[in-house]
Amino acid sequence: MNKWIIFRQGILEELPLQLGVFPFGIIYGIMAIESGLTPLQSFLMSSIIFGGASQIVFVQLISSSSSIPIILTSITAINSRHFLYSLSMYDFLIKLKLKWRIILAYLLTDEAYAVSIRKFMKEPNNSLLRYHLLGTGLTLFTSWQMATLTGILLGGNLPQFLDLNFIIPLTFLAIIVPMINSISTFFAVLSSGLSSLYFKNLELSLWILLAGIVGLFVGFITRKLDKKE
Amino acid sequence: MTWLTIVLCGFFTFLMRFIPLSGIMPKKLYPNIKPSLEYIPLVVLTPIIFNGLSVFENNIIFVTENFKLYSAIIAVLAAIVFNNVLITITLGMLSFLLMSNFLNI
Repeated sequence: MNKWIIFRQGILEELPLQLGVFPFGIIYGIMAIESGLTPLQSFLMSSIIFGGASQIVFVQLISSSSSIPIILTSITAINSRHFLYSLSMYDFLIKLKLKWRIILAYLLTDEAYAVSIRKFMKEPNNSLLRYHLLGTGLTLFTSWQMATLTGILLGGNLPQFLDLNFIIPLTFLAIIVPMINSISTFFAVLSSGLSSLYFKNLELSLWILLAGIVGLFVGFITRKLDKKE
Repeated sequence: MTWLTIVLCGFFTFLMRFIPLSGIMPKKLYPNIKPSLEYIPLVVLTPIIFNGLSVFENNIIFVTENFKLYSAIIAVLAAIVFNNVLITITLGMLSFLLMSNFLNI
């Protein structure tokens, strides 16, 4: 399998997720304009930060006149999960040249990671895996920029059927259900989900991080049950 | 000031993604946490799902009259049966649209 086939595979596997990403980007674009950001700021933020949920939080905070430290802390806390994504790809990417690691780190967002990590885990010895992540990442990047631009141009004329609060979890659900393939992964999912509801009222979106830690811990201690299968 | 904030947020976001791949982290740390890494995508994405599907009011979670929850169950079944992202999203979205537009529980 050559690099172009793997690159194309990444693009094709990423495309279905754009059903969820594109409306999300449109909503971000609309919210950014309504928060008082200029069209240029709204558009370029999608390249500079390139992180869906955090950009929406950004415009919410900026519209409520939050201070820079609060905004910075919030955005960093929300995107702290990307640190974990990157960590889990260490084995696959650490031997690449620096320019590759910089490019792929920049593209390492939720949906690109979710698609590519399945490929990485399935074919850990494939030396061309970087092209898969490049394909998923560039597809997501292109889609996100186009969606942002559409939202900026649309203004407040959002179709009512686009329910952001449902599209995003639905997209992630479609990704993770096939990954629940053992007792420990099941308990990791269940514990992180339930604990996130418990932590929901914490500020700075810390519930994502704390629920993730709980899930990791539960998954780790229930690994013994997998071996008995 | 807004531009500065955007650039700083972008910088810190990139750092989150790049630091583990930068090679500056101690190598001894990695083997200790490696067994837990396969859970990362699951435990990070699941909280977003749970919170997206939950309807809260005064710290009480509503289960009935929550069409998102019912549609998510259909989507889970679709994911198990078809193992296809596009089909799962389409069926989940369709069921949600149908329930929220035509059902009055």
